[in-house]
Amino acid sequence: MKTVLKKLASFIITVLLVTLFVFLAFELIPGDAATFRLGTNATPEALERLREELGLNRPFFVRYFTWLYSFFFGDMGQSLSYGVSVRSMLASKLPITITLTLMSFVMIVALSVPLGVLTSKYEDRMWARSLDALGQVTMSIPPFFLGIIIMYVFGMIIHAFTPGGFVSWQTDPVRFIGYMFFPSVAIALPKAAMSAKLLRTSILSERKLDYVRTAYSRGNSTMDVLYRHVLKNAIIPVITFLGMTLADTVAGSLVIEQVFSIPGFGRLLISSISNRDYPVVQSIIAIIAMIVIVINLIVDIMYRFMDPRMRERS
Amino acid sequence: MLEVTDLHIEIEDSLIPETVVEDFDIEVSAGEIVGIVGESGSGKSMSAHAIAGLLSRKDMKKRGRIVFEGEELLGMERSRLRSIQGDDIAVVFQEPMTSLNPVKTIGWQVEEALRIHRDMTDEEYKERAIQMMRDVEINEPEKRYYQYPHELSGGLRQRVMIAAALICDPKLLIADEPTTALDVTIQAQIIELLKRINSKKGTAILFISHDLGVIRTLCSRVVVMNKGRIVESGPVEQVFNAPAEEYTKQLIGAIPQFAKVAPYYDISGKKPILEVKNVSARYKKITGYFTPGARQKLTVKNASFVMYEGQIMGLVGESGSGKTTLGKTILGMLDDTSGEIVHYSRMPQMIFQDPYGSLNPAKRVGWILTEPMRIKGGSTKEEQREKAASMLELVGLDRTFMDRKTSALSGGQRQRVCIALALMQEPKLIIADEPVSALDVTVQRQVINLLVRLNKELGIAILFISHDLKVVYELCSHIIVMKSGEIVEQGTDEQIYNNPGHPYTKQLLSSAGYVKSD
Repeated sequence: MKTVLKKLASFIITVLLVTLFVFLAFELIPGDAATFRLGTNATPEALERLREELGLNRPFFVRYFTWLYSFFFGDMGQSLSYGVSVRSMLASKLPITITLTLMSFVMIVALSVPLGVLTSKYEDRMWARSLDALGQVTMSIPPFFLGIIIMYVFGMIIHAFTPGGFVSWQTDPVRFIGYMFFPSVAIALPKAAMSAKLLRTSILSERKLDYVRTAYSRGNSTMDVLYRHVLKNAIIPVITFLGMTLADTVAGSLVIEQVFSIPGFGRLLISSISNRDYPVVQSIIAIIAMIVIVINLIVDIMYRFMDPRMRERS
Repeated sequence: MLEVTDLHIEIEDSLIPETVVEDFDIEVSAGEIVGIVGESGSGKSMSAHAIAGLLSRKDMKKRGRIVFEGEELLGMERSRLRSIQGDDIAVVFQEPMTSLNPVKTIGWQVEEALRIHRDMTDEEYKERAIQMMRDVEINEPEKRYYQYPHELSGGLRQRVMIAAALICDPKLLIADEPTTALDVTIQAQIIELLKRINSKKGTAILFISHDLGVIRTLCSRVVVMNKGRIVESGPVEQVFNAPAEEYTKQLIGAIPQFAKVAPYYDISGKKPILEVKNVSARYKKITGYFTPGARQKLTVKNASFVMYEGQIMGLVGESGSGKTTLGKTILGMLDDTSGEIVHYSRMPQMIFQDPYGSLNPAKRVGWILTEPMRIKGGSTKEEQREKAASMLELVGLDRTFMDRKTSALSGGQRQRVCIALALMQEPKLIIADEPVSALDVTVQRQVINLLVRLNKELGIAILFISHDLKVVYELCSHIIVMKSGEIVEQGTDEQIYNNPGHPYTKQLLSSAGYVKSD
């Protein structure tokens, strides 16, 4: 119970701090929604009127707490540049970003676990070493650059998909997933390479420990020792890494959406920042922060589940 | 049942192949307990692991014959070997802390060999596992079944290891230093248990140890090894009472025997050098991000004693008794302490248990020894080196050691350097925390003799912290016994050894095999 309350407290504090920082940033950079909407030729009177209308001339903390109060009750307010409710704007975009994130995360896990196991099991084979070296190269490529290469090779040359031809979930689920596949690969590959390498190193160092010798002395085969003994121990540090990666993947997907022209959170966020449309930016940031915290919470629980030494003794 | 002839083991991981075991022969009949004894690096564990089929590293070459129940184990097909491992031949290892898988339940690990070698239902597995845990005297086996290794004490973990090894009723149990990492009282219990298993189930045991005392009480025959070769072998009584080889004699002569090495030291009329009054030490336990140091544990409770100049005081206790903490408290190394400590001399110096961890491996001996003088200043480089060299000679190392790197020294040489370092400060009191526990018996003997000589020639008082009642008996005229942070008893050697007042002292003495002298 105490742990739950502690987690809840840190959840609320994090969301408060993150949104407050974003608000502050908007306060510090020049220009606001009114100047953006009316352009540079607007008269001061017109600007003042619009500011009055949008509530931009109220003091900083009043605006922040008004926004926070309504956000708390599920009302994200109106977009300053489009005049529609933020909630309806986000409702159509959130599933796209989440799908992209989840697809790439599944790829990371599905690629890295077998790769880590194989490259450690056959550590002195030539192909395992080549894979390891290839991973080293892969993890140093930034996702957006990988995205451009994938777009060029699979989109323009092989024609595996049509760049810019995004199909929404409602129109055709199969083609939607098909279009999301390549951007997911762009996000997943470098991370998968990192986590495979981590798992490989972890398995190799676990294999030197005493309990492995005990396992052999009971008549386990090499495979049994790996799967029944070593893997569960070796995967523990990898889980922590995957948790951080998942949070990172959310951020990564914002960039990749730009490259592949996917109408998710990323594009909306960038246009809203340049429009100084703070209700939209605030809501997106708050939602992403909440997703990241929830992911950390899940990792924490998994960690306790995997490692009995981490469980609290009652 | 087991017949090993002419076993050779070579390691080829460096440019020059190194022979670690040569011409090794051993025979174990059904129901027999045979011991292999030797110091570190003698190849005893290596030979035992070879018999258990655990040396499968590619860089290891093995030659010879290992015949078990008429079958040749060396070069046997892996799958056939696996069907013997854990079923007919089982192994118990030295470190119960690390030899169990930390993320698997105790029950799972005890059952594992059974699941590999026998076909039964889950209920039957569990039933057998709990019965086996009861047989090795694990209390509350039903509860332990679902626990994890970190929740158990060292002694219980070793019992779990034994239960897991015996689950398939093996014909041969290989026990590789199974009691070395345990406290004396637990050690004695495990030895008793192994004896009982042997007589009840007829399990043959191949017992590997550096501890000759344990070998003597347990085994019927013994093989003495040194530097990868067998020095001598035969019935235990013959080898111990009439050793034929020089090395064996030396080894047996080095065992602490409850015989005085330092004469009785009369403290009447002597000036006190250290007074400890009502000293307590606390240990903070960090329990969570929001509540650091919430739970506190008293590791030393109200300790009081006085030491006199030139005295060797023994401080005895098992792991966790607070004896090291008390030593550190005296030196002012801990923060959260209370009580009064009066020093009547210069600050005492400390010598630690592990000579490998206490010296910077990248530095030369001379650099390490002169460090305190360099920091203090006020002396020339020549003076510093001259003093360091004379201290080295005092501890029995010649001047050439000044320019050697500490990583190139043996354990005994390192401990001598540690002592020389303590002597650089010209202390009147040395606190020696288990200074010989990590050393082989023959080296241990040399360091003990050195400490006695320093005490006699320089009049240095020593607070000798140890778990080993035999070594303490040899050195100390006055002894303090600690248990769970408290001093339960203190007095002269006569009082403590021949007339112990506290039941814990009695238990320690009987575990150490002390027979009252008149």
